[in-house]
Amino acid sequence: MSVTALLHNSELFSTLTPEQVEKIVALGHQATYNARDVIIREGDPSDEIYVICSGMVEVEVARGVIPDVSGPPRLAPLARLGKGQVFGEIALVDRGTRSATVRCVKDGTMLYAIPRQALWDLCDGDHTIGYVVMRNIAADLAFKLRHRNLQMRLAGG
Amino acid sequence: MIYKVSYVVVGQPDLGEIVNLDTPPRVGDRVTLGDEPCEVIEVIDLIPPRENFAYLHVTCRPIQKAR
Repeated sequence: MSVTALLHNSELFSTLTPEQVEKIVALGHQATYNARDVIIREGDPSDEIYVICSGMVEVEVARGVIPDVSGPPRLAPLARLGKGQVFGEIALVDRGTRSATVRCVKDGTMLYAIPRQALWDLCDGDHTIGYVVMRNIAADLAFKLRHRNLQMRLAGG
Repeated sequence: MIYKVSYVVVGQPDLGEIVNLDTPPRVGDRVTLGDEPCEVIEVIDLIPPRENFAYLHVTCRPIQKAR
């Protein structure tokens, strides 16, 4: 399956025309990771958004961080994301640092990385693409929030 | 139709996945979440479908608890 078709099957770009998706494909590049590779790290500067073309990643956040205690923070998993999902979109929207660490959990996981500024420039220059992408990012963030709410609701068993 | 599925596991808030599937999960299906074999016990529409996407929420329980 072509990268254009893979991105078209992601909710983020699914309602764009193939020609519009091609414009987004032209901005980015493929990257392949293996299990345990860290793709982005919480607190780092952000410059790309990622679409998962195949494989699986795990989103983790540091818990119980005490400033005066040395050593690596304890990372707690939030969720796993598979084919068609996106990550890195929070920093795309708010331009802040990475809000979580994302680690690959399956060998050969293929991602499509899209530079944040180039995507912003495309959205600014073509408001039809910009509206669809931003609406779909909002919908994706809402879905993740619902997912997390349900996780917490069921936490007690 | 693409099924965007939110999997959660009863009693295990750190286990869960979001993934796009070509076919919808069904009650009784066996899935592995993390390294945990689980059984699907509920499938609901999380939000109304939009364009070619359906949005499902799937509740699972670990297999050993089901026995």
